[in-house]
Amino acid sequence: MSSSNVWSRSRARMRLFPELLAQCSGEAAAYGKCVASTTTGKQELTKNMCVKEFEALKSCFQSAAKKGVK
Amino acid sequence: MPPPVRIFFGDGPGFESLAELQTDSGPCSRVRTAPVQVLPQTQSLLCGAGPRSLRCLWRGWRGLSSQGGVMNVFDRSMKRRQKQWASSLLDSDKYDYLRDEVGSRLADRVYDVSRSLPDIVERLFLTDISDSSLRNRKKCEMPTQCVLADEEFLPFKENTFDLALSSLSLHWINDLPGALRQIHQVLKPDGVFIGAMVGGETLYELRCSLQLAELEREGGFAPHISPYTAVTDLGNLLGRAGFNMLTVDIDEVQVHYPGMLEVMRDLQGMGESNCAWNRKSLLHRDTILAAAAIYKEMYGNEDGSVPATFQILYMIGWKPHESQAKPAKRGSANVSFADLSKISKFPTDPQKS
Repeated sequence: MSSSNVWSRSRARMRLFPELLAQCSGEAAAYGKCVASTTTGKQELTKNMCVKEFEALKSCFQSAAKKGVK
Repeated sequence: MPPPVRIFFGDGPGFESLAELQTDSGPCSRVRTAPVQVLPQTQSLLCGAGPRSLRCLWRGWRGLSSQGGVMNVFDRSMKRRQKQWASSLLDSDKYDYLRDEVGSRLADRVYDVSRSLPDIVERLFLTDISDSSLRNRKKCEMPTQCVLADEEFLPFKENTFDLALSSLSLHWINDLPGALRQIHQVLKPDGVFIGAMVGGETLYELRCSLQLAELEREGGFAPHISPYTAVTDLGNLLGRAGFNMLTVDIDEVQVHYPGMLEVMRDLQGMGESNCAWNRKSLLHRDTILAAAAIYKEMYGNEDGSVPATFQILYMIGWKPHESQAKPAKRGSANVSFADLSKISKFPTDPQKS
C-alpha cells in the first residue's frame, strides 16, 4: 500500500463487513423482524426496543470478525 | 443547408450515450400537446418492495412554495471534491451503469424531439463542476467543448443554444428555480430543454432503514439522504422558469445489490455521496450493522439481494416562440362535446352516405 491512513484502513475493514454479516444471517433476520414489527404496530419505535436481538447480532458479528482475523 | 445547431450539455459523464446521436438523423416531429402533460408512471422492473406504509417520519421534500430567497441546502464545493474523487478512481466506469441507463433514455427523447433541431450538430458543450469528470469523458465524433461551470452560474450568453440537456445533476442544485431560469435564458426562442433528475421516492429503502436503525440504536435520527423534488412540483418549477409545453414523466429504475453496504459504496463511487450542510459526519458501527439487518429483512428478495429504487424524473420544456401552438381563444369553439355521441358510425360505406 502506498499510504496507509485511517481512511484506507477503515475502508479495508468495511470491505469485510458483508461477509461477516452473512455469517450472522439468523440473528440479523431476528433483529430486522423485531424492528419491522414496530412499524406496523401501534407503538412508536423507541431507543433500545430491540436491544436483546441487537446484542445477539453484535456478539455474533464480533465473534465472526475474530475468527476472520486469524 | 439547414443552419447548424449548437447543443449545450449540462452534465459530465453519462452523456456518452448521446454520442450515438447521428448527424444525419431525420427529423421526426413530436406531437405537441397542451401545457402540462404528466405521462403515466412506468416501471422498468417490477417493484416487489415491502410495506411502503411504514412510518417514515422524515421525508425531506424540497419545499418550493413558501420559502422566498435562495435555499442553501448543499455544499457545492464538497460535491465538487466528491466528484473529483469519484472520477479519479481507477475503476470509476464500474459505477456508471445508472448514468448510462438514464443517458440512453434521455437520448431517446432527443431523437423524438427533433422538430426544430437541424440535423448537424455544430458544437457540443459539456459542463460539470469537476474538471476530472470532464477529463474522464468518452470520445465522441461531435465537435465538443468542455466548460467548467456550475449549473447555478452558467457562463453563457442569452439565446445561444438550440438544445439544453441535463442528466442526473439537478438534484444537487441549491437554487433550482434560478438554475432553470438560467437554462431558459441561454436557450434560443423555440429551443428545448430536456432533463432527467433523480426525485420522488429515490432510495426510500436506504432512507427508511437508516432512520429506523438510528431510532432504535440512538434514540433519534438525522437525514442521510438528500431531499428530492416531487414530480408534482416539477411542472410548477418549469412553468415558473418560463418554459412552455411541458412534459414530465417518471421512470423507476430498480437495482439489486448484495447488501446495504454495497449500495452505499456504489453511491459513493458514482460521486453521489451526501453533501447537504445538515449531514451527519459520523455513522456509528452499531447503526450500520442495525441498518444493514433491517434493510435485508424489510426489503430483501428471496435470493438474498436487496433492491435500491431510483425514481428518475424526465422533463421536456420549450422556450416560447410564435410558431408554437397556443391554447385556443375562449369562445372560438365550433363543435360541442355533445356531438361526440353522434359519432357512432365510420363513414366508410359508400351506400349509406
